[in-house]
Amino acid sequence: MLWQVIKREIRLLGSRPMWLVGMTLVPLFMAFFFLSILGEGLPKKVPAAIVDLDHSQMSRQITRSLNATELVDITQKEESFNAAMDAVQRGEIFGFFVIPDNFERDAIGGRGPTLTFYSNLTFYVPGTLVFKGFKTMGVTTSGRVVQTNLVSKGAPQEMAEVLLQPMTIQNHPLHNPWLNYSYYLSTSFLPGILELMIFIMTVYSIAHELKTGTSRQWLSIAGGDIWTAVIGKLAPQTLVFTVMGLGINSLMFDWHHFPLNCPMWHMAIAMLLFVIASQCFATFVCCALPNLRLSLSVCCLTGILAFSVAAFSFPVESMYGGIAIFSYILPVRYYFEIYIEQALNGFPLYFSRHYYAALLVYPILAMLAAPLLRRAARKPVYVP
Amino acid sequence: MLHWFLNMARVMRKEFRLVFSSPGTMIFFFALPLAYPIVYAAIYNPEVTRDMPVAVVDRCRTAESREFVRHADATQAMKICGYAADMAEARRWWEEKKCFAVIEIPADYSARVARGEQGVIQFYSDASLLLRYRTFLQSLTELQMATDADLREIAINTLGVSGMASAGGSSIQTEAYFLGDPQQGFASFIMPGIVVLILQQSMILGITFLGGASNERRRLNRGLDPLAVQASPLVTVLGKACCYVILYIPLSIYILHYIPVWFHFPHLGNPLEYILFIFPMLLATAMLGLTCTCMVAEKESAFVVVVFTSVVFLFLSGLTWPRYAMPPFWQWLGDIIPATWGMEGFIRINNNGATLSQQIVPYAWLWCLTAVYTLTAWLVACLRARVSLSALGAVKSN
Repeated sequence: MLWQVIKREIRLLGSRPMWLVGMTLVPLFMAFFFLSILGEGLPKKVPAAIVDLDHSQMSRQITRSLNATELVDITQKEESFNAAMDAVQRGEIFGFFVIPDNFERDAIGGRGPTLTFYSNLTFYVPGTLVFKGFKTMGVTTSGRVVQTNLVSKGAPQEMAEVLLQPMTIQNHPLHNPWLNYSYYLSTSFLPGILELMIFIMTVYSIAHELKTGTSRQWLSIAGGDIWTAVIGKLAPQTLVFTVMGLGINSLMFDWHHFPLNCPMWHMAIAMLLFVIASQCFATFVCCALPNLRLSLSVCCLTGILAFSVAAFSFPVESMYGGIAIFSYILPVRYYFEIYIEQALNGFPLYFSRHYYAALLVYPILAMLAAPLLRRAARKPVYVP
Repeated sequence: MLHWFLNMARVMRKEFRLVFSSPGTMIFFFALPLAYPIVYAAIYNPEVTRDMPVAVVDRCRTAESREFVRHADATQAMKICGYAADMAEARRWWEEKKCFAVIEIPADYSARVARGEQGVIQFYSDASLLLRYRTFLQSLTELQMATDADLREIAINTLGVSGMASAGGSSIQTEAYFLGDPQQGFASFIMPGIVVLILQQSMILGITFLGGASNERRRLNRGLDPLAVQASPLVTVLGKACCYVILYIPLSIYILHYIPVWFHFPHLGNPLEYILFIFPMLLATAMLGLTCTCMVAEKESAFVVVVFTSVVFLFLSGLTWPRYAMPPFWQWLGDIIPATWGMEGFIRINNNGATLSQQIVPYAWLWCLTAVYTLTAWLVACLRARVSLSALGAVKSN
């Protein structure tokens, strides 16, 4: 009986190109999209400007050193603050560095001039990088001047060097020392996309039966048992989506050498559970709202909000409590946690046990809700 | 000519009626743009992350090391959650999510500082979220500079070299300013871009949904849509687009003006200028939507075709990943999406206080896209008209 439903489903999947597009081409395209668009992992050489009001030997040297850093690319030299601001507003540059007039004279004379820099944070990543480049330059310039002054006042060279930085903090970003941006974005957004497509395709395949009234035939082939009907319907898709998910994983971890500090099967199991959990989430929505348009709307809404509320970029502990709860109704949140703890940080499996267990809750919920679907499948009502 | 305009008005009136009689379309055209900005704002409204738990492994255990830890606790990013006995214990805290970073102070820290050598402190931070790491980094830089200044002063005073105190104290100052998002908040950065994308995506969803419904009716009715107004393809396209743009102008004012005002996002720029600016984007989007209707066989396919593109368009726009760092093909693809230019221009006007004349490049692009997509929408309509015409012929010959 189960086999009959599966066979019917495979025939259905072959009947419309939409299934091929939604189940394979979209995830493949997205994987290709993310891995190629984020290519280098860090957008270095941010276009920036320098406003040199001093025109001295020292200011020219600062300009040269700035241009030599890997973060900043001095694409233009502006003569005033207003001209540089205009370039920011036009979008030509992401920040500028101002060297005030009489800078060299004041620096050597010990009058403490001020270096000012502006970074445009409306574009977060380049804005942050240009800030980092400018800040480093400001600190080193300041240090050089202090050192020169100390030595000229008669301090020994070595002591002057230490006085410059009596202590230092060495920073170690664990497991991503390059701060590769793709490690954050590809690994969270690709499962997010997969979840979204699973939601859409699962709802479509179940609720479309209700819309066209073929649900009675579907149920009768399954011998009237809704669980057989649902499992038979979803099994072929589980296979396809899991293969896609594992393919994406291998593309990231094997091909692009993303950090993988756990055995591959930890992530493979997580992927399988994640695919099933996402299908069951969508099935649950179908049971609660047995109407194609409504359940699709709900699933698209949650699937798209998942990119924000599952806290891929803004941490969940900083959200308002009432909002943060929603993070935990989404399967992708648990998958993302497993990725961080297992693949990125390499924790023992023991610490991630809750997340694997959480993914197993979804099938139970879907099974409990299935009788609602049976009622709808027996008497399909189409609301146009 | 008058006849032409009357026809267009008829198409527009019919389209208004179709929009308001279909609950699905109403969801996309009204519920989505009204509710989504509020939902997103609620998610991101805390803006910054602060007081993240940090563990300390202090092998030095001197007044200096405790002083350092107190200063670390006082920074915006860090909150010391406790002293761990060794690195293994600190690691277990990290694994149990009790802390996101570990400060390790070596045994010889104060001794080295007192001897006039450089003291080194290690900071290990969880790098699973960029925002967390960035916040740590910023506080660390400030912490290091402040500690250095303190230690330098003490050292110079103990050395007692005359005149050196002034040399150490008069180092060059640096001042950093953040344009467009002075508080460095997450919502203030991402919301102005997101809302423009919501305008485009909700409109395309609604239009393709309407188009899918029309295609369904056509299939059931031997190639003819009984609810369509008899008019030339160009008039049909223009009339429908007028309807959508008229609906979206009040929504744009709500999204571009009231949302930033209510949630205290950066909001500069002249309202007239950004409404003028967004107008061609609405027009281009309407035409793009009408072009896309050829891809949806039934209403619900709109979800499959359109929804996932939101993520693609978000990235192509350069909001999270700058466009100059993209491979040329993706830059080119981003060029032909109205929201890319809409976001770029609106962000600069809204956050950076630019004027419309400074946004001439995005503005010109939007008008070009309007022209191109009008052409494609017209072609799609022509194709459909030919199919309908032959269907009409078949009906008559029967």
